Amino acid sequence: MRKYAVIYRSVLMENMQYAMDIVMGFISYFMFIFVFIHLWNYMYSSPEELISGYTREQMIWYTMITEMMWFGARSGTVSGQAATDIRGGNIAYLMNKPYHYTMYILAKHTGEWSVQLPMYAVFAVVMGMTMVGKLPAFRIVTLLAIIPCIILGITINAVFKLCISLISFWIEDSNPFQWLYDKMILVVGTIFPIEIFPAQMQPFLKLTPIYTVCYGPAKLVVDFNMEKCVEILIAQTIYLAAGCGIMLLIYGRGVKKLYVNGG
Amino acid sequence: MLMAVKNQIRVCVLSTKYNIMREMLNKVTFLTNICFMALNNAAFIIQWVILFHLKKDIGGYTMKEVMLLWGLAASTFGLARILFNRAFSLPELIINGKLDSYLVMPKNVLLSVITSSTNTSAIGDLLYGLTVMCIFSFSVGRLFLFLLFTVTGAVIITAFAVIMGSLSFWFVRAEAFGVHMINSVISFATYPDGIFRGKVRFLLYNIIPVGMSVYMPVHVMTHFDMRSLLTVTGYTILISAAAVFVFYRGLRRYSSSNLMAARM
Repeated sequence: MRKYAVIYRSVLMENMQYAMDIVMGFISYFMFIFVFIHLWNYMYSSPEELISGYTREQMIWYTMITEMMWFGARSGTVSGQAATDIRGGNIAYLMNKPYHYTMYILAKHTGEWSVQLPMYAVFAVVMGMTMVGKLPAFRIVTLLAIIPCIILGITINAVFKLCISLISFWIEDSNPFQWLYDKMILVVGTIFPIEIFPAQMQPFLKLTPIYTVCYGPAKLVVDFNMEKCVEILIAQTIYLAAGCGIMLLIYGRGVKKLYVNGG
Repeated sequence: MLMAVKNQIRVCVLSTKYNIMREMLNKVTFLTNICFMALNNAAFIIQWVILFHLKKDIGGYTMKEVMLLWGLAASTFGLARILFNRAFSLPELIINGKLDSYLVMPKNVLLSVITSSTNTSAIGDLLYGLTVMCIFSFSVGRLFLFLLFTVTGAVIITAFAVIMGSLSFWFVRAEAFGVHMINSVISFATYPDGIFRGKVRFLLYNIIPVGMSVYMPVHVMTHFDMRSLLTVTGYTILISAAAVFVFYRGLRRYSSSNLMAARM
């Protein structure tokens, strides 16, 4: 594990040099949330109205938290870099190093979001407090349970995105699959809580990555419940174990197909 | 003069043709990119089905009108990315001093630069836009207007990208700023303008060119108004002129990095 900690630390230090670029990213986040604040303000006829059990503030904060995780943890490492390494042949140089390639990518990705996510979190809180108002039922102590959920959610997402990138062993461009996965998470997961979907669809949605990647952590922020928290943490652990199994399986199969053309 | 314009257009068409031919070398990837981009856009229909289930009217738009808005936004961005894709990565050429190979060409520099690449997946956007328009609100007159506004919208978005990209002639950090500003245009363009009020509406119709590239054209397509049509056309000419002015003004500050590059 020490070698992955070293990779993590070096990427963390490197990314801290580019804090200004991260701040520039706030523009997109701000615009996105700004649109949603206006949309939900329009959708709620009165401040007391509930939509699928959510108040206006809860609904906007839900989107802000999911989008904070989305923007704060986005990086080209698990999608772009992994696919390019495989397509361009650079993986031949990386796979014989004294680490597992997939763990190297995950450690690097963690180093990247460790700088970005806290910055986005601060920005989201400032934006939320000034433009939406505070969440009435939120207690700061619940963060002790929520933060592990957020970290697990981001890691599960990275594992699944890396699985998609590893498809590049078989097809040249895995980007279209990334778009579809991203859209599934973005449209179904980050914009709406699961309760807004028809009752028949909800059990199915709880089996998808949406439940563990975005719904779980955001739901705990807007409406914390210890029972729900335990349920989400168990689901995340199962998902992470299954995701890592699939990732290692795809990688193991993929490297057998690798051709090195020299150069 | 007319001959020079004709020649320039011919060069642009050829450039796009060869860009697409190059992308078609791997047919599976080419087709996958197009199909998945169309599917990617279609995913947002779920979002609107849910929202219209909650309220029948959103910002004065019905489902049919939102689909028209989505169709126009997709085809506008699609056409811009097919014909003028390099306009969206202009800062990279400026900052790395890669404009040299375009400067020595005996044709218009700006047009040569922006037509030098094509985004394959944008073909999926364009086809998706046209399909959505034909499914949800087809009529011959509307189709004609849709095609016209796809062209004006593509020119407006490209001009905005050129202006944002040209800021890199003056400021290095403008690269990230420009990218986020263009992303914000996409964010706004896919939501009805009726949900925004006051200063935000003013901003969307004047500073961020979403109003003129998408919102007003959708209003013209649903309730025809000649004055709005002329306003959109006028704005297209105005912003294009502004983009040309800003780019050439910035080009005076450009310094080469002595990179050896060949355009093939």
